[in-house]
Amino acid sequence: MRSLTMKSCVALLAVLLLPAQAARAGDARLLLPDFQSLESKASETVSITLDPSLIAMAARFLDANKPEDAAVRKAISGITGIYVRSYTFDADFAYPKADVDGVRKQLSAPGWQQLMQVHSRKEHNDVDIYIRVDGSKANGLAIIASERREFTIVNIVGSIDLQKLHELEGHFGIPDLQLEQKK
Amino acid sequence: MTDGAACSVCDSLARARAGDPSAFAELVRQHQRTVYSLALRMLADRHKAEDLAQEVFLRLHRNLARVQSDVHLLFWLRQVTTRLAIDRLRREPKYQLLPLRADPGIASENSAGDPLLRRQLRDLIGQLPAAARAVVLLRYQEDMEPLEIATVLEMPLNTVKSHLKRSLAVLRGKLSGVASVAAAFPGDGSVP
Amino acid sequence: MSPDFENELREALRAVDPEDGFAERVRRRIASETRMRRRWLSARWAPEALAASVLVAVLGVYGWEQRRERQGLEARQQLIEALRVTGEKLDLAYRGVQDASRPASADDAGA
Repeated sequence: MRSLTMKSCVALLAVLLLPAQAARAGDARLLLPDFQSLESKASETVSITLDPSLIAMAARFLDANKPEDAAVRKAISGITGIYVRSYTFDADFAYPKADVDGVRKQLSAPGWQQLMQVHSRKEHNDVDIYIRVDGSKANGLAIIASERREFTIVNIVGSIDLQKLHELEGHFGIPDLQLEQKK
Repeated sequence: MTDGAACSVCDSLARARAGDPSAFAELVRQHQRTVYSLALRMLADRHKAEDLAQEVFLRLHRNLARVQSDVHLLFWLRQVTTRLAIDRLRREPKYQLLPLRADPGIASENSAGDPLLRRQLRDLIGQLPAAARAVVLLRYQEDMEPLEIATVLEMPLNTVKSHLKRSLAVLRGKLSGVASVAAAFPGDGSVP
Repeated sequence: MSPDFENELREALRAVDPEDGFAERVRRRIASETRMRRRWLSARWAPEALAASVLVAVLGVYGWEQRRERQGLEARQQLIEALRVTGEKLDLAYRGVQDASRPASADDAGA
């Protein structure tokens, strides 16, 4: 898995996700614990729950005349849910592994496949990316990132085109993924 | 605010609500600095800030009956000022932000420290998107805690914290020449 | 965030006064608006009274719409934040892959 370049991952995901259908999208939604123990220790918490109605509401307030907003609209078309839990701590690895393992267990359920596992010993980071596949269609994405002082879970239900996410780079604080441009 | 000052505001508020114009004028004098400064740093234009500040007090005059206390008054003024400023910025997407250093009469640098750095900071803050700018101003001009800011702006607490974290990283990065405001926020000065 | 930097921010954002006479300008504007409103309200014709009722209803709807707008803008902000975090973690993975692809060096993580 580690030999895959990011470009290959994007291509793979693009093939798997286009066109995508949200068949049984409910199974692509992870049951995220309330992480109360993490929240009490964290110096900062980001907790975002966007169900289909909130995503639709947000989309209505995207200005089609602004290129950035139009790119966001394209990136979220097909997405029916976005769930983010991110905790920042003042000390290294202040979060118990058990909290992470509880979510990983769900990703061993049928349908979920590990797309990528990146471990950086130097940076003390682990990033796992999973997709959920139903037939030949993908209807979910999960990212678990364990960093020295930050723990993040992202769960996206529906289809996400990483290439479209790439078009958001440099705007709204979305970092530049430095992906090679498609020919 | 000292007890003496608080009593003075309470007294002015009660008399203003009873229709005393001099009491209302006193309220304006007591709070004009807060309102005008917020407007100025949101809009980065003295004339527009003056106009907005007047509008805020005009609305206060119309809504005096709703203001229940001096604490509520300050909350109300901050909320209305930031909301009106954000609305104006959103309605004027091509709003040209004047660098504050080009604007004479902005805070004379009486205190010790680096006046150039402070002007740079004000310029950079003026380039932040409206919501992030409002959060930074309420935090560092008005010395409000994130939870208070969340209440004033009717924004989730986590969003306030995200704005602070990101804005400060951008400001620091920009000052050290590493990051750029444009990379973290829309670069054409338009308001998201 | 260093306290020095935050102190510099506080100093940079020290509140300033408007130009002299601000309170008087506010007083004049209030007086002007009050006169205009009195002229408008003093008309006794039914159409104006009806227009006033319609205006009140419209303002009520406007208040509701303002609340909806705030909720929508907040949802938009959350969406952008969610995409930002997603992009940040994908970027983390990408950098990990890049590090793994580089030739081994003395302090290579061995990824």
